[in-house]
Amino acid sequence: MTHFAIETKDLSRIYKIRGNKKEKQIRKELVALENVNLTVERGELFGLLGPNGAGKTTLIKILTTLLAPTSGWARVAGYDVTQHPNLVRPRINMVSGGESSGYGLLTVRENLWMFSQFYGMPSKEANQRIVELLKMVGLEDRIHTKSSDLSTGLRQKMNIVRGFLTDPEVLFLDEPTLGLDVGAARDVRKLIRTWVDTSPLPSGEGKGEGRRTLLLTTHYMVEAEELCDRVAIINKGRVLACDTPANLKRNLQRDAIFEIETSPLNGLTSQILQDQPEVKKAALTDIEGGARLELILKEEAALASVINILTQKEIKVKRLTKREPTLEDVFMDLVGQKMEEVEKEEAPHAG
Amino acid sequence: MQANPSLALSASQKVTGWRLFLKTIVARAYPRVIGQQREKSWIFFDIFLPMLGVAAYVYVYRAIGAPEEYVGFVVMGGAMTSFWMNVLWSMSSQLYWEKEQGNLALYIIAPNSMMAVLLGMAVGGLFATTLRAAVIIVAGSLMFNVTYAVASFTQLLLVFFLAMTALYGMGMMSASLFLLLSREAWHISNLAQEPIYLVSGFYFPIKSLNFWVAAAASIIPLTLGLDAMRQLIFPSGALLGFLSVKVEIAVLIVLCVLFLTAAKFLLDYMEKLAIREGRLTESRR
Amino acid sequence: MNRSETTRSFTMATWLGWQVESNWTDPFLFAIYVIIKPLASAAILVVMYSIITGGAYESPLFPYIYLGNAFYTYVGAVMAGVSWAVIDDREHYKTLKYMYIAPINIPFYWLGRGVSRFLIGTVAVIVILTAGVLFLNVPLDLTQVNWGLFIVSLLLGVTMLAMMGLILASITLMVAHHFFLIGEAVAGALYLFSGAIFPLEVLPAWLRPIGYAMPITYWLELMRRSLIGDVAQAFPTLAQYSNLQLLGILLGLTVIFAVASVFTFRWCDYRARELGLIDRVSNY
Repeated sequence: MTHFAIETKDLSRIYKIRGNKKEKQIRKELVALENVNLTVERGELFGLLGPNGAGKTTLIKILTTLLAPTSGWARVAGYDVTQHPNLVRPRINMVSGGESSGYGLLTVRENLWMFSQFYGMPSKEANQRIVELLKMVGLEDRIHTKSSDLSTGLRQKMNIVRGFLTDPEVLFLDEPTLGLDVGAARDVRKLIRTWVDTSPLPSGEGKGEGRRTLLLTTHYMVEAEELCDRVAIINKGRVLACDTPANLKRNLQRDAIFEIETSPLNGLTSQILQDQPEVKKAALTDIEGGARLELILKEEAALASVINILTQKEIKVKRLTKREPTLEDVFMDLVGQKMEEVEKEEAPHAG
Repeated sequence: MQANPSLALSASQKVTGWRLFLKTIVARAYPRVIGQQREKSWIFFDIFLPMLGVAAYVYVYRAIGAPEEYVGFVVMGGAMTSFWMNVLWSMSSQLYWEKEQGNLALYIIAPNSMMAVLLGMAVGGLFATTLRAAVIIVAGSLMFNVTYAVASFTQLLLVFFLAMTALYGMGMMSASLFLLLSREAWHISNLAQEPIYLVSGFYFPIKSLNFWVAAAASIIPLTLGLDAMRQLIFPSGALLGFLSVKVEIAVLIVLCVLFLTAAKFLLDYMEKLAIREGRLTESRR
Repeated sequence: MNRSETTRSFTMATWLGWQVESNWTDPFLFAIYVIIKPLASAAILVVMYSIITGGAYESPLFPYIYLGNAFYTYVGAVMAGVSWAVIDDREHYKTLKYMYIAPINIPFYWLGRGVSRFLIGTVAVIVILTAGVLFLNVPLDLTQVNWGLFIVSLLLGVTMLAMMGLILASITLMVAHHFFLIGEAVAGALYLFSGAIFPLEVLPAWLRPIGYAMPITYWLELMRRSLIGDVAQAFPTLAQYSNLQLLGILLGLTVIFAVASVFTFRWCDYRARELGLIDRVSNY
């Protein structure tokens, strides 16, 4: 048996977009995933990091047997998701951020109990486990509240409990902390880490055997950085890099990363800066009263040419900071844009 | 948040096979039963009002001077509409709502059988459905002095059981459409009310229809089920029966096997198709 | 120029209602969908009638039943259309809360949402009437129709149905999303009391007062009289009333229902907000 919890080979998915009545004849195609090759070891907490519309949810849908790939293959828990969905399903579960699943007229306990039954859990144990898990996310006092009476954040906590409840070998969390406040998001991250680290499978030896695997998608850099053993950066359906957060950042270690706050930009564009030989990447964001420049420079000395350009354009430097690389910088280095800029451009195609 | 040393549950404790099938039925019936308990307005809308609707058809027969046995036919047919409604709305169309709400994806990724989920929906609604049918029969019989002369209780129960089995099999077949379609399928359900009342003879014996129309309508299990039950319950039923009860039982047995097999095949096929086309999780509202 | 809130609510909802009702399929399928359901309803009654009478379509009872049932299509269409909009917006599109906080007039918005079903109902009524004239000897002669009475009665009747729809929509605010359509359930039940398919005399004496209190009863009588006057008057139920008297009664009852709809809406709206029901999802 393979020691990979998740394995994909040249995985692609193309959506056919149906237009409205007037555009019926025009069938557009959208490449949501393109030749994705990934391996996730058993016992790994793996993150898929990318902007909205990057293809993260599509990948999760394929891995959870809800969507067939257009080409390539994927295995989860050792089984092909297209050929053997019935062998994959008992071993997985999934929670999507912001989902409204369950029945509003049922209480939190009743909703969770119902889903546990679909996995064949004995009722008594399911109920005990529901109480334990609700305690862990601080929802135990709402156990008898109708789920329609829960706030968005509490409902999301209930859904997260649903994912852990059935004790899957591989758990998929699609934007699990979406809509949660800082404290709740922290609770959920802690639960995720605890589960992967301390919940062995009943049997298994060898590399990673007997350990649970968790794949989460996020577009929060900090979440990926803080939580994941390895991260794949994905954009426009393609995996651009895959490694531990430390290794991904290490590639930028030789570069110098600066953040400069300035007065308004007076027509300065990122291209003008990137045309400088030593400037690898530059991103400009408008902020109140001016702008923020984020620069990845091949060497520190290149800062002088940037300052020179700013002076020529009569742009005042208000603050200048040198900082350690983050995953955001890794993304910018790979894509050439900040994640939020990509999201702005891709907004109409998000999915 | 409290630390917990182990979140694991031994996988061997989970049941599979027919036990999982039964658990799934119970689990999906649960929200129906609890929902009905918590929102009792259905008693007025789904029990009391339909009873009045059935009475209207009785008075039409009275107005045109129909023989009294037709009153019994209407009461019987009116009661059986409950089961058709249960199949159409609480089972097939329900999948549309499940899809829109995001539950369908969770049903699919769970290791349970879709047939069990659908049966759970139907079983959950069965209390209300049976109550509606019973109220229509009891109240209708008392109000309109319907007289019964049951020829054979065994055959009557057999026909009812077979008709229900075939009907729910057919319901599961049509539910498979909902895996692929969205709003269109909901409208198809809406369309399948009155035309089915017409061709299945809910308010009159199907013998009155053209033979071929009645024969074609017999594909809907309630058509022959209702016809056979009328023959077995009413003194003049046999005279107005479409085919003999024995033949109707035989056809119903064939329909049971056919529909249950086809439902299993279609649900699997449609699920695969929907997964390929990316329709399981889309919301086309 | 800014249109008034009422007009804006109504027209916007009419447009939206039409999109929701019709854009799920192509026009051909939609046309079939529109007519097949009411035609089947009419056919049930035709078959019932022909089995018993051996096809005596020339009896005045037949056009009585046929026309009553044809126009009753409007009752189901308007009541179900208006009340379904509440459930559809609340539980499916989840837009009821946004409609509530928008500067629109909610009752007029709901009425607008019912317009598409009304239009669809109109097509169905025309098809049913045409089929009746062509195949079932319904004695409808367009040159003999009292058009003035027909138009006034139709307008008044539609207003009355809209008010009844509004009452039901308001009640729907308080009701969970059951798997059946409550608009159709109510319309099905009122069938019994409206003299649509049999004269009220057929009902037991203790049930008749409900029929007399129902504006639909007078409206259907007016529709029959305007289309085929003499046949309609062959039944004693309302024979003692002149057309004008019937119009008066219908107008009076419409006003009563309009007032009732305002109070029902206010009360249900208040209770729904008090209980937090505006944005609930209660499908089970």
